[in-house]
Amino acid sequence: MDKDFKYVGHTFPIHDASQKVRGSLEYLSDMKLPDMLYAKLLLSPIAHALITRIDTSKAEALPGVMGVFTHLNTPSKTYSRYRIIPNQEFCLEDERLLTDKVRFAGDRVAVVVAVSKEIAKQAIELIQVEYKALPVLSTPEKALQDQGTRIHPEGNLLHEYEYKLGEQLPLTEDCVVVETVTNTQKVHHAAMETHVCLADFDSSEKLTLWAACQGVFGVRTIVADFLELSYNKVRVIKVPMGGSFGGRQETILEPLTAFLAKELRRPVKLSLTREETIISTMTRPATTSRIRTKVTKEGFLAECCVDTVLDAGAYATSSIDNTYVMSKKICKLYRIPYYEHWGKTVYTNTPVAGGARGWGAPEIMTALEIHMDEVAKRLGMDFIEFRLKNLVHPYDLDKRSQISLGNARVIECLEKGAEAFGWSKRFKRETGQGRFRRGAGLACAAHKNGMYGGFPEHSTMTLKMNEDGSFILNTGLHELGCGTITSITQITAEVLDIDPKYISTLEADTEHGPYDFGSYGSRVTYICGACAYEVAQLIKKRILECASQILQKSIRYLENKDGRVWVSGDEQHSISYGDIATTAKIKHNTDTVITHTYHGTSNPGAYAVHFAEVEVDTATGRVWVTDYLAAHDIGKAINPGMVEGQIQGGVQMGIGYALYEEIRVGKDGSILNSSLKNYHVLNAPDMPEVRILLIEQGGDEGPYGAKSIGEIAIVPVAAAVVNAVNNALGTSISNMPLTPEKILNALGGKKHAN
Amino acid sequence: MQIEFKVNGKEHNMKVQPTIRLVDLLREELGLTGTKEGCGEGECGSCTVIMNGKAVNSCLVLAPQIRGQEIFTIEALEEDGQLSKLQESFINNSAVQCGYCTPGMLMSAKALLMVNSHPSAEEIKTAIAGNLCRCTGYNKIVQAIQEVAVGNQKLGT
Repeated sequence: MDKDFKYVGHTFPIHDASQKVRGSLEYLSDMKLPDMLYAKLLLSPIAHALITRIDTSKAEALPGVMGVFTHLNTPSKTYSRYRIIPNQEFCLEDERLLTDKVRFAGDRVAVVVAVSKEIAKQAIELIQVEYKALPVLSTPEKALQDQGTRIHPEGNLLHEYEYKLGEQLPLTEDCVVVETVTNTQKVHHAAMETHVCLADFDSSEKLTLWAACQGVFGVRTIVADFLELSYNKVRVIKVPMGGSFGGRQETILEPLTAFLAKELRRPVKLSLTREETIISTMTRPATTSRIRTKVTKEGFLAECCVDTVLDAGAYATSSIDNTYVMSKKICKLYRIPYYEHWGKTVYTNTPVAGGARGWGAPEIMTALEIHMDEVAKRLGMDFIEFRLKNLVHPYDLDKRSQISLGNARVIECLEKGAEAFGWSKRFKRETGQGRFRRGAGLACAAHKNGMYGGFPEHSTMTLKMNEDGSFILNTGLHELGCGTITSITQITAEVLDIDPKYISTLEADTEHGPYDFGSYGSRVTYICGACAYEVAQLIKKRILECASQILQKSIRYLENKDGRVWVSGDEQHSISYGDIATTAKIKHNTDTVITHTYHGTSNPGAYAVHFAEVEVDTATGRVWVTDYLAAHDIGKAINPGMVEGQIQGGVQMGIGYALYEEIRVGKDGSILNSSLKNYHVLNAPDMPEVRILLIEQGGDEGPYGAKSIGEIAIVPVAAAVVNAVNNALGTSISNMPLTPEKILNALGGKKHAN
Repeated sequence: MQIEFKVNGKEHNMKVQPTIRLVDLLREELGLTGTKEGCGEGECGSCTVIMNGKAVNSCLVLAPQIRGQEIFTIEALEEDGQLSKLQESFINNSAVQCGYCTPGMLMSAKALLMVNSHPSAEEIKTAIAGNLCRCTGYNKIVQAIQEVAVGNQKLGT
């Protein structure tokens, strides 16, 4: 990537930064409509029970209450909150607006709509519910054992699969077999804005939803199908949101809020508190992965067998796909002659699992990279040397998908990252024998670029040039706070050679904008960015054609720069994009607008290797991450400042995943920590400086060679931190998170064993 | 109850419920929605405002506590109709992502800089310890505040 670019590769602030620092950007939680009503949920306090009686009379009698709804006066039909397109596979319709049988502590039992938040809250307290308790299945083990207790009528095992790839060779003497079991936990996305939804059903019988979501078209599909409205009568508008991280990927509040607005013919806003958001929306799934590898004494992997169980919680949502994609990661990272993956997705009476940044990759890569350290230890081999023998090389085929991994530079990440971090010195250093021990850990990771190979993959955009030479790029994009709009604008500006301030990039709107699947699956830069690149190329061609007519010279004699076009050698008689647009409209009776659909045809790996140094207090079990380096194969960083922010934010989330964060569920299914008081999110003093090394070798089909960053950024973090703790203490802990209690237990166990 | 207080330099004399929280008073009664709410229990700092020179969580302040007090919110951070150096620095250092924590973060930083014009990185981290951000990993936020502090040092303020 030797070409210097004007806009690509330069740091720009997020497009609405100046509004955000003024506090003037209107988020969904700030929005109010005339005559708007406020909804409040009643959530189940217990984990598994039949509702035998609900008395809403006192709530209904409270002045200011406009409606009280339960399973008795809402449709009994079910839906899947995960669906994007009609007839999509693995979208189990197992959820009701309001349930008649509670399946977890946090299930939706009733909703009150009132003229004020306060009245809605008071009315909720007046609803009386009687439950008939059922046995609580708080873990997948219990749910699989107790076949007599069914969370849903079809049974507790939602789905299972088995993949066997390659040829299994007989065990020979020069092989070692290593087995590890890693548990990862339920985690709260902890976006700073809690979940909220706003709906209006107007006098033209049209439903409008203002959605802080990751995919307006999926929301529209689910809501329109549920309410039996045609798709042209449901408008979903993406509005500013305070973070998502997968927590707003699925359609959680929209069906209910839309139903209420339609019933009451008034705008309805449903806002959740932090506690409600933690327990009743979505969590990262808890998983257990048993990994068994057979490795030659020279350190080459011969086979890798994985058995994964994923805790879906009380409703299926995306969990079948989430388990399934866990089988698609390992072969993107290592060359493995024989690969086997068994997966089970299990209902439990716990909060609902769903999409979370990285989608299965942080879970399986944590298990894998903890395992790889154990293998290297068993072989007595250097951790890096062992990995280098097995990592994929550029343009290897992904064994699982049979698609090229593209210019996969994970080896470069490992080698250059290790050198920049000073790995060899730090790793071999004495960990100390005193109270405080130091250790270093590393982890490699692979992720993807879009959904090609497993799902349709295309994006559509419309780019139009205004009469003054400025542009409107209409897209189906969703800004989640990552800088999507800015990077897409930079790509377009680079192609058009025009200052980005003259391009407005619009976010998704099902009525006024083109179709796109949504902002997830690490597809935005790679797929939507490529769409922006191509639509800009096409309109540039149109601009030059118009200029050619005006200047009466063939396109090959034309040059363009900074929004102007001229005949080579005659720059002083240049014409502006504005002149071209206006002349095209008036004199040539033509318009400068292009709509283009880009089709993805590749899915290379995105790679990272992270290095962590930790200090562990052996008296308290407390861990500090004291230094951190993240090496990323990103192809090309479109906006380096925002790329660094993605990585540093991923590290914050990943350290929390490794050490603190867990939604703890009691044996009776009660939620033990449902507030930020006892759910610890890393704060500024907890956070190390994250040094970043970007490998920018391009080579794939992303715009200017760019690959994904937002999800891969969190994938290796937990394993790097856990491996560093194990290095410091000489332990093999693989049960996350590494709370002080678990660390002290492991140290106690070690002493005992000694 | 009737209370008098000052917000962003403007005097208010209002009849309010004694149980109303400052965050609701600002957002619902005065329309100052730049102050955000993220947890309602003083853990996330999204609702941070400056009251009598100190950063406070406005979700933990009740109406009677603001009687006679002077409050500054994010809407008052601009100087002479221009973005302040602190706001500019957040923009220039890519310290803004989803932006939901930004107003609270800026108010905590402002409260620090009002009493300590050139704080160390550690002092900055302590000052924003009560402000959670899920997007940035804090590195760029600390850097943004530090850059203003270094600028102050150069100016000898």
